[in-house]
Amino acid sequence: MALALAIETSCDDTAAAVVDSSWRVHSSVVESSIDQHRAFGGVVPELAGRAHLTTIGPVVHRALRDAGLDPRAPAIDVVAVTSGPGLIGSLLIGLSAAKAYALAWDVPFVGVNHLEGHLFAPLLERPDLRWPLVTLLVSGGHSMIVRQHGPGEHVVLGETIDDAAGEAYDKVARWLGLTYPGGPEIDRLAGEGDARALQLPVSMTGDDFDFSFSGLKTAVVRATQKNPEVSLADVAASFQGAVAEQLLRKLRRTLETYDDVQGVALAGGVAANSALRRGVEELARDFAIPSLLPSLSMCTDNAAMIAAAGLHRFAHDGPSEFSLSARPNWSLSEVS
Amino acid sequence: MNVLAIETATAACAVGLRTDDGFEVGWVADEDRHHTEVLATSISRLLSEARLRARDLDRVVVDRGPGLFTGLRVGLATALGLSEGTGCALVGVTSLELLAHASHESGTRGTLVCAVDGRRGEVFVQTFALEESVTAVSGPAVARPRDVVVEWATNGALVTFTGDGVQRYLRDFAAVPNGTVDHQWVPSIAAALALGSTRAPVARVEPLYLREADAVANFATRERP
Ligand SMILES: [Zn+2]
Repeated sequence: MALALAIETSCDDTAAAVVDSSWRVHSSVVESSIDQHRAFGGVVPELAGRAHLTTIGPVVHRALRDAGLDPRAPAIDVVAVTSGPGLIGSLLIGLSAAKAYALAWDVPFVGVNHLEGHLFAPLLERPDLRWPLVTLLVSGGHSMIVRQHGPGEHVVLGETIDDAAGEAYDKVARWLGLTYPGGPEIDRLAGEGDARALQLPVSMTGDDFDFSFSGLKTAVVRATQKNPEVSLADVAASFQGAVAEQLLRKLRRTLETYDDVQGVALAGGVAANSALRRGVEELARDFAIPSLLPSLSMCTDNAAMIAAAGLHRFAHDGPSEFSLSARPNWSLSEVS
Repeated sequence: MNVLAIETATAACAVGLRTDDGFEVGWVADEDRHHTEVLATSISRLLSEARLRARDLDRVVVDRGPGLFTGLRVGLATALGLSEGTGCALVGVTSLELLAHASHESGTRGTLVCAVDGRRGEVFVQTFALEESVTAVSGPAVARPRDVVVEWATNGALVTFTGDGVQRYLRDFAAVPNGTVDHQWVPSIAAALALGSTRAPVARVEPLYLREADAVANFATRERP
């Protein structure tokens, strides 16, 4: 059985984890620098880079300790690290440190696609699942529907053609004057509101599985200007409802199209969203297949999912070269 | 003592190794490629040439800046991973003092102003007195090259300028009538090995940015009336 240490620094979270090849999570540590970015209404790359450098040593140390390993001579077989996509300055810190740890311990290292990592997150908690799976992957920077035939075997069926769902959340939250990051705030407010209070369009571009969220913010702005009496909670609920409805309709279309699907999974930061979780559960019930809803800490960025993806890549493709570069725009379709 | 030196705070990416049995080598890696692509490969090659493994290192000395933020973080993250992973000691040096020590080594004496290119029309500067030894006579600071040039031209004292900040604004610096230019642009890896071998190790090496994070600076400006 192989043991991996993984490092994840693609955005504002500095994370490290130890996971074995039977996907047991021995430790998982996440330190966020989000408090430093709040005032700017978005992640500031230079601030994130500085925070990663300060945090990475202690985070890796803690992950090794929590896993019961000696940080100076851990019985690690491979060091996995997110090498893209993400903020270039942030990626480089994790990548540089990962190479150095691998050098220090004389073990191979492997670069991992962050989005492929997200796809492994639901699997870590459900070793009993069956293939093929359809995963709805929604995060601050990405929204896509992926069909998986097995671990690491995936086809991107649909993607957002403009903004990611998480981006739409942040934009609308800013318009409503909520604190950054907007997702959890809107989700909380929506719980107290009426989703039918505002009429918002649900964009359903064509027969494909693609999304579009760029029009939604404009629609929210227009609708709230026209109906100033509608409460913040009702606006949040209506917006969240419109996002979830678009995602779920496309997901439903996928399940109708591919009738061999054995499970439907949710992944990425927006997967922490309660409306979406409820919707996916309902959908799974309708199609009589299991739903895989990872725990909240597994939805958001973490290194355990990178370790799982890394172990798979290492077993199938072997180690990466020390000359590996960060790929800030590395798309999931380029990984196979 | 086996000492590894890393310099990635400037456009160059340099590594060096000095070992117990007298092996010493330093080189500037391929400048056309990113630091990330060449640094770990270069270290691995150096170690195998010296028939060492990383865990045989006693010290890692790293240039902590000032310089290019992303580059210096690549170096610091690498040094940190090596020292955390092997338990070897960590020593920090600055790119400005590396320039000063190399200039001293090549025979320069008197007042030396080291300037590292800080982009955005600014340089990171520090003044040293080069006599028997090297002494810093000012703290590292960020300045506009024109201001540095005017200060020294007005002051009239004999001075030597060096560093890639001087190279970038060579015409300005060469115009100082009481000034000479020492044409060394890259912080010396030999100086890093020498300084790193004698200086006391630290628990953690702090980056020397000398400038607020871009957005913090922008934000502060934006908030001003
Ligand atoms: Zn993510």
